[in-house]
This record gives sequence, structure tokens and C-alpha cells, in this order.
Amino acid sequence: MNAPFYKFGLFGDEASFIIAFLIGIGFGFFLERAGFGSARKLAAQFYLRDLSVLKVMFTAIITAMTGLYVFSRLGMLDLSLVYLVPTFLVPQIVGGLLLGVGFVIGGYCPGTSCVSAATGRIDGMVYILGMVAGLLGFGEVYPRIVNFAHSTSMGQITLPQLFDLPYGLLVFAAVLMALGAFAASEWAEKRFGGKQPDPEGSIIGGSRRLTPVRALALSLAVIGLCAAFAGDPYRGHHTTIATRDLEMRVGQGADLIEPAQLADWIIQDRNDFRLVDLRPQKDYIAWHIPRAENFPLASLTPDFAAHNEKIILCSDDSLEAAKAWFLLEAQGFKSVYVLSGGMQGWKDFVLFPVRPQGATDAAFERQAQVAKFFGGSPQASNTEASSVATPAPPRVAPAPLPTAPPASTSTAPPRKKKEGC
Amino acid sequence: MNLEQHTPRPYWNSYWAGFGLGLVLLASFVIMGRGLGASGAFTTAVATVVHQVAPAHAENSPFYSEYLGDGTHSPLKDWLVFEVLGVFVGGFLSGVLAHRLKFTVEQGPRSTTPRRLAFAFVGGGLMGIGAKIALGCTSGQALTGGALLNVGSWAFMWCVFGGAYAVAYFFRKQWI
Amino acid sequence: MNPLTELTLSRHNPLVDPTLHVWQWQIPIYLFLGGLVAGLMIIAGVRLIAIRPTQREALVCCTIGPLAGLVFLSLGMFVLFLDLSHKLYVWRLYTTFQITSPMSWGSWILLLVYPALAANALAHLPEAIPALAKRFPVLIAWSDFILSRTRLVVAIGIANVLVGIGLGIYTGILLGTLGARPLWNSALLGPLFLFSGLSTAAALLHGILVLTSSGEELPAFADFLLSSLTRLAQARPLDQKVAPVLAGADNSFLTIELGLLSLFLIGHLTSTAVHQQAATLLLSGPYAAVFWIFVISLGIVLPLILQTLELQNSIRHTLAPALLVIFGGIALRFILVYAGQQSHWFHALN
Repeated sequence: MNAPFYKFGLFGDEASFIIAFLIGIGFGFFLERAGFGSARKLAAQFYLRDLSVLKVMFTAIITAMTGLYVFSRLGMLDLSLVYLVPTFLVPQIVGGLLLGVGFVIGGYCPGTSCVSAATGRIDGMVYILGMVAGLLGFGEVYPRIVNFAHSTSMGQITLPQLFDLPYGLLVFAAVLMALGAFAASEWAEKRFGGKQPDPEGSIIGGSRRLTPVRALALSLAVIGLCAAFAGDPYRGHHTTIATRDLEMRVGQGADLIEPAQLADWIIQDRNDFRLVDLRPQKDYIAWHIPRAENFPLASLTPDFAAHNEKIILCSDDSLEAAKAWFLLEAQGFKSVYVLSGGMQGWKDFVLFPVRPQGATDAAFERQAQVAKFFGGSPQASNTEASSVATPAPPRVAPAPLPTAPPASTSTAPPRKKKEGC
Repeated sequence: MNLEQHTPRPYWNSYWAGFGLGLVLLASFVIMGRGLGASGAFTTAVATVVHQVAPAHAENSPFYSEYLGDGTHSPLKDWLVFEVLGVFVGGFLSGVLAHRLKFTVEQGPRSTTPRRLAFAFVGGGLMGIGAKIALGCTSGQALTGGALLNVGSWAFMWCVFGGAYAVAYFFRKQWI
Repeated sequence: MNPLTELTLSRHNPLVDPTLHVWQWQIPIYLFLGGLVAGLMIIAGVRLIAIRPTQREALVCCTIGPLAGLVFLSLGMFVLFLDLSHKLYVWRLYTTFQITSPMSWGSWILLLVYPALAANALAHLPEAIPALAKRFPVLIAWSDFILSRTRLVVAIGIANVLVGIGLGIYTGILLGTLGARPLWNSALLGPLFLFSGLSTAAALLHGILVLTSSGEELPAFADFLLSSLTRLAQARPLDQKVAPVLAGADNSFLTIELGLLSLFLIGHLTSTAVHQQAATLLLSGPYAAVFWIFVISLGIVLPLILQTLELQNSIRHTLAPALLVIFGGIALRFILVYAGQQSHWFHALN
């Protein structure tokens, strides 16, 4: 089973709307069954007379949470594909407080107001009108508060990531907290609402028998307890990326390596790096930089190299290299570099260097030697008819090189795309 | 016509209703890879109407334009819109089967209808604004995000309860 | 010859590929109203024949229905008129009769609908709306004239039924004869629209009965509106006993509609590739969500369930089935007209 089905393309958009409708029917049905079509029942929550809101909400939350955990842990569902609303902490706190005040004043929340309107509650219908008016007003004001609405962004982040605790442990904590809240609310209902707990439908009151409600609570607690020790539910390797650090490295170009430097390292026969050629195998066989290993993008699994190794990526396609770079960064490789200019850069600056204007003879001499080391040949610069160090050799490419470089090499090497995905 | 009087049936036990709701939420996660929601559908509806009345204004607004889609099909063809349509149908079905359909105004014994309706309107407006600032309402944030252990959702959820308990005293005449 | 000119001549000339006038909201609304009026006529006719009254009664089917039908028909004609390009030449339709043209059939049928409906409404009008009869005593005379002649009553009933069937089928055939739209190439559209019209008509009458029945709990404002309306008209209580019959009839109509719709789609799916593609527009294409949700679930299945429960007396009679069926009828026309215009012979070629 590969869930979420929609994300794995089991059905299209049109079918998803039909599913939305069916899921909505279920949602509305259970909201109404719980009594949430009645504003009095909902508002009683805040006068501690009837804490159904808390009970229903937390039962639903821990049911779905443990269910998600079990499915993910059994490998049937990819938790990382379930959409997570990004966190904007301060706006969400302010919005939450506003919603709380609105809840007491209006008596509904948006979902329950639909149910109440559908069952004929006129206040529910008026509430919906009010909500529409509020949205209209907000839409007009929004451009002025857009900065606030986007402040304190934390990205898509879960509590386990925030506290750096195992996911399962927090599931267990949430289940325990919910069960504690149920016990407390039953006590409060008895104390403030004068409600005698119904022996069949409560957790703490009545007999000592294992009623169905208690069995439900117990099984949720048992699943939670197992979750606490059962490990990480995420299917893929999960990591956090320090975006600020990434920004700095990309901004300074510290993610690039110049062809000349790579050439030096290869000549020095240093073994503290791995050169990864991302091109298709066919191109790799045709020719490649010495020491390069062929790993097309799809084969870059987290375990293809040790995470602390220095990795240098080269490719024909700067976008491909950028993708691989970000993928490896995200997989937790510590030092990944891209060969500046790619294979073309290697040809232009190492194999067939052109004498730059104003370069000293000694410098160009060195370049020429490097080029010869790799089987290439230096080119005469555009301005000077002939080079002092090496008379222009016949432009026959060495055997492994299928293509000769273009005569004019004044084009700048392509910069790799700065942003990740 | 039907002469027999049907008396409203009692509500379900909160835990079982919550369990059912949790299963629906879980089904949504498993099938769609997303949770439930409500306020987004109303926002889409409002944005669509604004777009019909004043197209240029809606397209220039950073708020409405997010809900208008790419223009290849009606913005109302949206997952949440169909889901909320289902909420109405499901609520109605449950209500009619339990004989709870009634045109009435829900209020406490000390409240009056005009005041209750005015408060419902104001409360709805506040909720609409709050839900947009917080990127979701009790369904989209508290329920869905709560089950996913989303940081913002848990902060939001405690603030909803906090805000409500903080001001509940001042509105007690409406309810008790 | 310039090759560009040749290219233009072969395909890009607007007269080579037929460009059809794009139908917007007017046509589906007209088709819906036409079907509704057809249903109201058939129900009124059957009711009139079935009771063969010699005394006046306040009958929802035979008075309110036909009166509403007259209003809806006028509304539908007006909407159709809005869609015409040459509005001033409408009268020319009535200078000829073309036996192969559904437009011609339709315009003549429409002309027959008015007298048939009016005669049906007149038979029991004084009892249903006494205030009107008091102001125009001639209405009572006409009513007496009709009711004293049993044969005339039966003739009016039969005329209503026949013209109603003709009108209902015509609204479907009108689409079916347009060969350029593969989705509409089915003779089943006629009966489909007829039974859809019947179900909306039965639902409308049932809804009127629910609204006017005294035992229902209505919101204060709705109650006020209704009572002031009835006070204005000084209407007698309508024949509530017919409500379960209408609900039962509506269930049958909806079931038949569902069957016809399935046959219609099966017919397309077992036809040529062009027709299969046209049917997939509804079944899994861009109209699938609205088709399955609005037409099938909300327009047919949900009211069927609700009315069955109402008939078993396990829930109250509510306005919901009536609203759902009427809305479903409108949705069916809209979706068929819009999807039909998107279905195309050339799409199958890619």
C-alpha cells in the first residue's frame, strides 16, 4: 500500500473532488452527532458545564495521530508527503486568540457553523454571513498587514523536530495528555455542570468494568506506549537544513570549485575528495576527467559515499549539478562542491586554456603544462597571434576528447543556479 | 402529511463521536495526504465573488489572488469547497436522521434573539479574520495540525482555548 | 499560388470547421423550465382525469401547478428570446411548419401549452384562490362551465398529458438533433429530460405542500411571509393527502431518470470513439466532479433516500428533497449543455 494515494497518483483531480465531498459528509456527520450543531453545547465548554468540545477534539486528534503513526511505521504511508501547514508563530498565536474570542461571542467555529446552518440553526446561518463579511474586510486590509502575517516564519516544522525528540515519544505524550484532559474534564463536568458521569460513557466515573469507552482509551494508550519505543515513522531520511548557512555558502560562491584547483588536486594525487560525474553512462564512457566516478542523479542515494567526504560534482548541465548538490546537502553530506563551469569549464580552462590578456608568461606556461598533463593543448589567445611558450599546436584533440573546443572561449562559464529546488 | 411527532434523539457519546471524526481525518490523510478544513472554502467563495464583481481588484490583491488559481478552471473547483459542501450534506443527514432539524436560534435563557444574532455575526467576522491570520481554523489548524504534531497548530490550539476562557466571563449572559 | 493562401483555404477559413453559436446559461435554464412545465402539465392532466371532479376542490396539482407552469413557461420563453440573435423575426417561426425541424415542432407545441395549462388551472381556480374569484366572477362561470361537462374535463386532462409529453421530449430532442455535438447524439435525451422534468415538477408540488402545511415548524420570518401571502390570497388549505403520493411518484421518476441516464451513458460508451470520449467528459473528465456530486449524488440519490425515509415515516417531510431535485434538474441541463459543447468530432483524431 502506497499512501497518501492522491500523492502517488492513484487518481486525478476530478476524483479527488468526489472524495472531498465524501470525506466532508463524514466530517459533517460526526460533528452533528457530537452535538456541535448547537451553539449552546459548544459554548458550554467555556463555562465548564459540558466539555464535549475538548473530548471530541482530542479523541479525534489522538485517533488520527496514532493511526498515522501506525500506518507510517508499517511502511504503508509516507508521512513526509502529508501536507503540513507552515508555522508562522506570532500570527498563529494572535489568530488563535482572535478565534477564541470569536468562538465565545459567536458560538461556533467555521466547520461547526456549516453543520448548524444545515440543521436549521438561524444563528449558524448569521454566523456564516458574519464570517463572509469578516473575510471580505480582511481581504481589503490584508495588503497592509501582509508583513505581519508572514512574520516569525519557522517553515514546515513539527514538535518532534522543534524539541529534537523522537516522534513516537511525542505521540505517547499527546495521548497521555489527552487522557489526562478527559479525566479532568469529567471531573469538571461533575463539579461545575452538576453532571453525574454516565457509567457507560465515561472514563473515570461509574463502575470498574472495562466499558467500550475505556477499552478505546486503553488501546490508544497502548499504541502510544508502543510508539514511544518503536522509532521514527518517517520513511525517507529526514533532516533539517540550516538555511542561513546554506544562504551564506551559496552567496559567497563557496559551493563552487574552480577547474584549475581541481586540476591541481588531481595532479597532486590528493585522495581526500571524490569526483562524481553526473552525466549518463554513455557520455562518461566517451570521455571523463581522470579519477571521476560515474553516478547519474538517480543513483545518488544517501549511502553512496561517506557523509564526511568531500564531494565534487561535475556535469554538462548546470541545472543537473545544482539538483544533485542540493539533494546531497539535504541528505546530510557535509562538503559538496560543484565544478565551476562543468565539463565545458574543464575543457576551457584546463584542457584548452586560452592565454588571458596580460597574463605573465610564467603563469601561462604553468597552464600549458597542466593542459598537457591531461592530454589537452593550450590555445593562442585571441589578441596575440602566437604564444611565446608554446607555438600553436595543430588543433587535433587528444584521443579521449570527442569534441574540439570552440575557437572563441570568451563566453563566461555558466553559473550554477543559486536556489535549491 | 406526517402527523407523528418525532422527538430529537440524544447526541452521541463524545468519545465515540471523536473517534469517528478521527477516523475521517485519518482517511483524509491516507487517501489525500492532507487534512480537513473549513474556512478556506469560504475564502475561496468570497474571492470568487470579488473576482466576478471586480476582476482587476481581485487579481491585484495578494489575498484574493492566492485563492483564484491559475484561471484554467473556476476557482470554486477546489478540494476544500467540495469538502465543505459535504459537511453541509453530512450535517443535514445526521440531523434529519436524529430528528434534530429545527429552525431555531441557539441561545441561553437570559439572551434575546436580536442580540444573539448580532453576536453571531460579530463572532463570525472575528473568526473569519482570525482564521486567515492563523492560516486555518479549528478544523484546518487545531484538528489537522494537531494530529500531525505541527508546531504552529499546537500553539494555535492553546491560544484558542486561552482566548475563549479569558473572555468567557463577559459573555456569560448569552449562554447560561 | 501562394502556399499561405492554400493553407488558409484548407482549414483556417471560418466556414470550413463549423463554428457553432456558443450557448450560455439561457439554453440550460430554458430546457430546465421547459421540462418542469412539461412535468407540471402531465401531473395536472393525470390528476384531473383521475379525480373527474364535479365539485370544486383546492388542488395543488391542478391549480397551483398549472399557474406556476404558466409563469415558468413565460420565463423560459423570455430566456430563450434573450438567446436569439434576430429577436425581431420570432414571428416567422409561426408562418411555417417544418416536419423535420425540432425548432418548428417546439414553437408550435409551446403555442399549445398556454391554452392547455390555462384550461386546467381554470377548472378549480375559484376554490384555490377565492380572492381572485371574488374580484373576477367570470372565473366562477368558466369553472362551472368546465366542471359541468365531464367529457371536457377528460379532454383537458388528456390534452395536458399529451402536450406535456411532447414538450418534455422536445426539450431533449432539441439537443439530440445537433449532429456536431457527439454527447447529444442520443434519442434517450428526450425521455431523460421528460422524466427529469416530471421529477422536478413532483418535487416542486411536494415542496409547496410542505411549505403550506400547518404542522411544520417554520422560522418566524418564513411563517410571517407565508401567512401574509395566504391572507392576501385567502387560499383554502391545499390537499395535503396527496403529499405522500407526490413523494412516491417523485421517487419513481427519479429512479427512471437514473436508469435512463445510465442507458444514455452506456449507449455512448459502446459507440464510436468520439462518443466514448464525449461520455468520459462526464464520467471521468473535466465534468466528472460536478456530474457525480451535483447530478447523481445530490440531485438523484440523496432525495431518493430522503423521500423513501419520509414515506416510511421515519423522518419528517422537509423542503430538502424538493430543493435538491430542482437543483439537480438545473445541474443536469447545465452540465449536459456545457459538456456537450465541449464534445467534438475532431477531438478523437488526436
